[in-house]
Amino acid sequence: MNLFKAELRRLARRRLSLVFGILAVAGVVGLTAIMWATSSQGPDEGQLAEAQAQADQWNEDNPDYGDCLEDEGFFEENANYAWAVEDSAYADMSHEERCEFYVGGMTAEDFIYTYTFSFENEGSYMLIGVAIVAGLIMMMLASSAIGAEWSSGGMSNLMVWHPHRMKVWGAKLGAALAVCAAAVAGVVVLAFGLLYLTAAVRGEVGDLDGVWWEATLERLGRTGLLTLGMTALGASLAMLGRHTAIAGGVIAGYLIIGDMLVQITSMSLPVDYPERFSLYTWVMAWISGKIELYNWNSSGMEMTPDVMVITATDAGLLLGGIVVLFGALATWAFQRRDAA
Amino acid sequence: MPPIIEISGLRKTYSRAFRQPHNALDGLDMEVAAGQVHGFLGPNGSGKTTTLRALLGLIRVDGGDMRIFGEEVPRRLPQVVSRIGAVVESPQFFKHFSGRLTLQLLAESAGVPRSRVEEVLEQVGLKDAAKAAVKGYSLGMRQRLAVAQALLKQPQLLILDEPANGLDPAGIHHMRELLQWLAHSQGVTVVVSSHLLSEVQQLCDSMTIVSRGRRIVDGKVADIIAGHSSASLSVRFPDAASLPEAVEALTGAAPDLTAAVDRDRLVVTGAPEPAWVTKTLADAGIYLSELVTETKNLESVFLELTGTAPVPGRTVQIGQSVEVPQAAPGGVAIDVQAEGVER
Repeated sequence: MNLFKAELRRLARRRLSLVFGILAVAGVVGLTAIMWATSSQGPDEGQLAEAQAQADQWNEDNPDYGDCLEDEGFFEENANYAWAVEDSAYADMSHEERCEFYVGGMTAEDFIYTYTFSFENEGSYMLIGVAIVAGLIMMMLASSAIGAEWSSGGMSNLMVWHPHRMKVWGAKLGAALAVCAAAVAGVVVLAFGLLYLTAAVRGEVGDLDGVWWEATLERLGRTGLLTLGMTALGASLAMLGRHTAIAGGVIAGYLIIGDMLVQITSMSLPVDYPERFSLYTWVMAWISGKIELYNWNSSGMEMTPDVMVITATDAGLLLGGIVVLFGALATWAFQRRDAA
Repeated sequence: MPPIIEISGLRKTYSRAFRQPHNALDGLDMEVAAGQVHGFLGPNGSGKTTTLRALLGLIRVDGGDMRIFGEEVPRRLPQVVSRIGAVVESPQFFKHFSGRLTLQLLAESAGVPRSRVEEVLEQVGLKDAAKAAVKGYSLGMRQRLAVAQALLKQPQLLILDEPANGLDPAGIHHMRELLQWLAHSQGVTVVVSSHLLSEVQQLCDSMTIVSRGRRIVDGKVADIIAGHSSASLSVRFPDAASLPEAVEALTGAAPDLTAAVDRDRLVVTGAPEPAWVTKTLADAGIYLSELVTETKNLESVFLELTGTAPVPGRTVQIGQSVEVPQAAPGGVAIDVQAEGVER
């Protein structure tokens, strides 16, 4: 327990923890600022009057529209609009509607852009995004904490004090996971508070009923587990590579090149459901609970594709398996390899 | 009292791709008695640090037995580690942490009271620099911090790899006094690996010299030096032309004596005593201008034993030290209290 507490303190006192903490909070505040700036609850009277004036001006400058309004036989007499007469919807419209639809008259709404942030519709996706970014940060922090200790010689020092290597690894991994859980929860709670406030003041909160809470908490819970897995993977890679750069390189290598290679290879090979070879597909299935992949090649002329369903359980088994595999390799390597 | 450290037949081989495996330890034997400052010497690459790392469970060995406080290590290391303080190789720390925080984290991890941190900082002379980040420390200050870290647990066995490395003369003096005080007043057994032979000669009570992963000699420092000291006399004359006559006079008076001309002086070995030389030369009508007794020090003994004495125009390469023949199974028992014994 002493070692675990010391590891927690060591992680908390690292400068990189402070930098990443500030970056995470700044990111949430930045996201809130963007939502605050872009969202509104609708145009005010002044904006509406201005938009109407712009629409009127546009209509005035468009002679066809004016002519259309004044001439009931505009479409029948004008060869350029013969196509409109043949349109199936033509007969059901009033003359004014025909002018607006086929010639192009403008209304005030066409000159008003308003976006209203709906917490009910968008909040949970934003919170999941925030949690994933926080998880990526924790993944880097965990790999850096262990990698830096190897490269600085601190790990050997620690093992002189604590020769039971599994206790050292357990304390380090446990501390990284505990900090990850606390950090992700903290950032998500902060994001929830700020985005809710933004929606209340600048947009609409919507109906956060039991169904909403159940679906959101379920997805957030699975995202939280994903961030813990990412942290454990980062720590394991650093333990295997004994350097932060090696862990970072493997992660960045997969994110940037590995997945691209998977996509290119799957495109060039005649395989069904090529998306299943991308880890992102499984991550999406894990977070959303289920994902459907379509195989259009098998549908022939019927246009009804075969469907492959990946459930959260399938994705959990695969992603969990990857984490457990690297964790086991790191444990074995730490137990067996010389500390020099 | 049983030895604090017992090592027998220790082997460690590093396999290397496309090259011959390297035997870092080739059947090393070593014993360290309680309450002594024990020097652990050897040329570069002779296996000193490998031995210390193996003792502390940092590396796995391929054969042999090791015991600390009578407990088999590394299997029983967790049971005795609280009694061992150690610094192996150059001290490395997290550079952004202060010296105090570095020690506090270690102390906290092992349940050592925080007050002990201040005590050791005072002990190694780092109290005023304790708040500064380690990245601003000089090598000597890092060395002091490493020793402070080793002292935190109030160990009964202190293992230090090159503790004087990077220390200024005052620091070396302070370190020597501290280690001797720990050993002789507090009963701490101190094992010091070092290349500073003059320092080892002043600091250590006993020592083990190794070469190519095997022990060459061990025993009391004074006994080892005395065992290899055939004191010689350096004799000079007002006129160098007297040298051949002096050789003739001395060898004529004592046939077993050796007298060799070395530039403008005569080096005499095997003479009964300096007064005999002056009398013999005076009787032959040769008067000397200078007579100096040259005794061997640890450095010359070390160079002789390890076969690493410099030869003009040649550089001694790593691993070119003397090769010790493999000891027969069940060989001579080691007694560090006895006179230095060549193995």
